[in-house]
Amino acid sequence: MGTPRMTLQTQLVLRALLEDPARQRYGLELCELAGLPSGTIYPILARLEQVGWLESSWEDPAVHEAEGRPRRRFYGITQDGAEAARETLARTYRSRKQPLPGWVSAHQATGGGAS
Amino acid sequence: MKRQRRFPPSSTARTDLTPTLEGVIAVVRSRHPDSDAGLLERAYAEASIWHAGQRRRSGDPYITHCLAVAAIVAELRMPPPVVCAALLHDVEDTACPPQRIADQLGQEVADLIAAVRTAVVSAHPQTGEGAMLASDAAAPSWETAALAIRLADRLHNMRTIAFVAPARRLLKARETFDVFAPAASAVGLETVGRELQDLASAVLQPAVSSYAVTGRLLTVLTLLLPSQQRARWQEEWSADLAALTTRRARTRFTLHVLLGAPRLSMTLRRPASQEQRRRAGRRGWL
Repeated sequence: MGTPRMTLQTQLVLRALLEDPARQRYGLELCELAGLPSGTIYPILARLEQVGWLESSWEDPAVHEAEGRPRRRFYGITQDGAEAARETLARTYRSRKQPLPGWVSAHQATGGGAS
Repeated sequence: MKRQRRFPPSSTARTDLTPTLEGVIAVVRSRHPDSDAGLLERAYAEASIWHAGQRRRSGDPYITHCLAVAAIVAELRMPPPVVCAALLHDVEDTACPPQRIADQLGQEVADLIAAVRTAVVSAHPQTGEGAMLASDAAAPSWETAALAIRLADRLHNMRTIAFVAPARRLLKARETFDVFAPAASAVGLETVGRELQDLASAVLQPAVSSYAVTGRLLTVLTLLLPSQQRARWQEEWSADLAALTTRRARTRFTLHVLLGAPRLSMTLRRPASQEQRRRAGRRGWL
């Protein structure tokens, strides 16, 4: 498995995915959500998939055929990925002494913190 | 004081090219002088009711499409019930109750609309009707009438294809070129066939210069990747590329993929993890 390098770009991608962890996104969509160019996104997605934080699969034929376009590759964050990402991002934030954004709290709560 | 009992002309959003009901009736009358304009007016009224509020991708009221298809069918010298079916060819996609068209306009029109749905458009028709249609359009067979409406529908969709998203536009143009245009010519509708072919090639030609070039470049880029991964990335990039609407956005997308390709290639070749780092450490790379 291993851990991906937490570059700023990787953090942006993870944050975009954690906004709605149940939702699957395709590469171009993540470019827009994370505000990153295509050339940056795909290597990050490939790396995150390699370490098991993401899973990818081809789009359901019923959907893309109905819309008459080629099938897209969709990425979703895994259970392990979501936990690991929250933890890593929280650590990054703490080390910079910044206020924690909302999506970290899910992880904090499991860690036993009240409120 | 009402001078005419006419249906609302709603000319507001129409371009000058959009045919009017009056125009359609005039064309039908010129071929079938004793035909009943009332039937066409009722069909138009039904279409107006059930397509009310719907719009084309162009933003035009949906009824403009019904009228345009009816006008094409009328120009083909089809009799009034076929022109009525053309006006109502998409009514099954609306809230219109199934029995209503038969009640209002007769079973023949209702059956024709259903036949349009099931009409098989084939580049090589099996029926052998061939060129009968053009000469015999005033009394066409069931299949011929249904096919004429399908072709007219496609013709108007191709005339307004500019409003369709690029990926779908190419798909439709390809299908039009390969199937609909030959089908039209095969049943003797050469003018329709030729126009379909011209409209389709107009879409397909520029695609060769802009869309496909970026697509081809992406294919070349995948050569940087490990061979067993190429097909996946090629397909993924093409699909994402197809989601972009402007040529400029596609160019930028491709350029960035180009810049990122070496990194992706490195990532994919890396066996993912500490094991590799350990190995590297042993060899003294770090």
